[in-house]
Amino acid sequence: MKSGFDAIDEGPHLSESPTISLAGEISDPASHPSVAALLGRFGDAILHHRVSSGTQHVVWIDPSCNLEILRWLRDDPDQRYDMISDLTAVDYGAGRPINVVYQLFSTVYKRALRLRCELPLDGLEIDSIVELWSAANWLEREVYDLFGVTFRKHPDLRRILMPHDYEEGYPLRKDFPLRGRFSRAEQTRRALNQAVEHSYIAEEMELGRDPQQATPVNGTQEGDAGREVR
Amino acid sequence: MGLRDVLPGGGTSSVTGGMFGDGSPAFLTSKIDWIINWSRRNSLWPMPFGTACCAIEMMASAASNYDLARFGMERMSFSPRQADVLICAGRVPYKLAPVLRRIWDQMPQPKWCVSMGACASSGGVFDVYSMVQGIDTIIPVDVYVPGCPPRPEGLIYGLMMIQEKIREESLARHFEHRAEDPNTVARPHANDAQVRGLSGPFGNSTQQEELSTKELGADIASSEDLIP
Repeated sequence: MKSGFDAIDEGPHLSESPTISLAGEISDPASHPSVAALLGRFGDAILHHRVSSGTQHVVWIDPSCNLEILRWLRDDPDQRYDMISDLTAVDYGAGRPINVVYQLFSTVYKRALRLRCELPLDGLEIDSIVELWSAANWLEREVYDLFGVTFRKHPDLRRILMPHDYEEGYPLRKDFPLRGRFSRAEQTRRALNQAVEHSYIAEEMELGRDPQQATPVNGTQEGDAGREVR
Repeated sequence: MGLRDVLPGGGTSSVTGGMFGDGSPAFLTSKIDWIINWSRRNSLWPMPFGTACCAIEMMASAASNYDLARFGMERMSFSPRQADVLICAGRVPYKLAPVLRRIWDQMPQPKWCVSMGACASSGGVFDVYSMVQGIDTIIPVDVYVPGCPPRPEGLIYGLMMIQEKIREESLARHFEHRAEDPNTVARPHANDAQVRGLSGPFGNSTQQEELSTKELGADIASSEDLIP
């Protein structure tokens, strides 16, 4: 079996391991005040705790309690995680669950915390946290667009980076071929056939409109149709 | 010996009241091709379509150190209706392809196109699902400027090649230079076979290209990957 650069023509290899090794080192939960408080309050919903890169505390939580836990982390006077630095997802391939990652920061206590939710491939649904942090709106749309995770009760869940009528799947999944599923010719044809206005809703089309212009630009009506693409 | 001596008729013409006073001819002779090509190539207005780092070099070309205005590109035309040459600087994703095509369709003839940099010309390192593999699959291109990104000298050289191209054009053969079927509006410029040729095996995408063609249309229609 070839390895390294010699194996470059064989494409990427999938790991055979059925489980994900939890990245990071085992550490005392008491070393981070929020982790200790989470364990005390939510108990079974807190699955694992690891420390990565020396200071980054990572907590695996039960996906069904994500809204409850995150709301408590935001509102509790001893936690006050008032900023969501990032919301993303990781696919480890080989049928293993997709992790949704919340990176929180407390500007009050100058403290960072990372939460992860493991979602099995046949149940890619989780509650939206847009009601907690509006900044999560586009981030959740991005995860939906590129990984196919559905966020329940998201106010405006539609693709954000790929075209609205993209049919090749979810590009950041490990089983997605690098060049896409369609041939280049088909991709080019589809690209030129797409109606650009359909990627936007009426409010977004309104942003690009000249305020001096009395009548709405063409396509505002079509923009309404874009809402139905969910 | 002045201009009047070499003009037809010279100083001995019987025509009076000419452009230089008495004795000079009242007309100049030239080729209309020469006049038109001279004025066209010295007043090219670029339509900047900058999407990435190449656009930084394009801006540097227009700034005072390189001063694109010396060559007649006095004004970057941000409206395609008033533009003569489209400079596509940077990578073009498929989502942007219809925008590029529409801007090209909106430009009035005569028009030319410069593909600036590796990504615009061939897709560059972005041999991936989201990226157009060379804008010549979308629109016709006159000059390709290599580089990643090209220096301003490179872009200026490319634009001078456009000027050279204009110099050789003739109104009598305009259809040879700028034939464009109205039916090609919003259509791909390259045909399917040409696009397939562009996406030949490269790097570690070899296997995935086979996968892409194998799976084309087969199980995707029934796949759960489809967005409802």
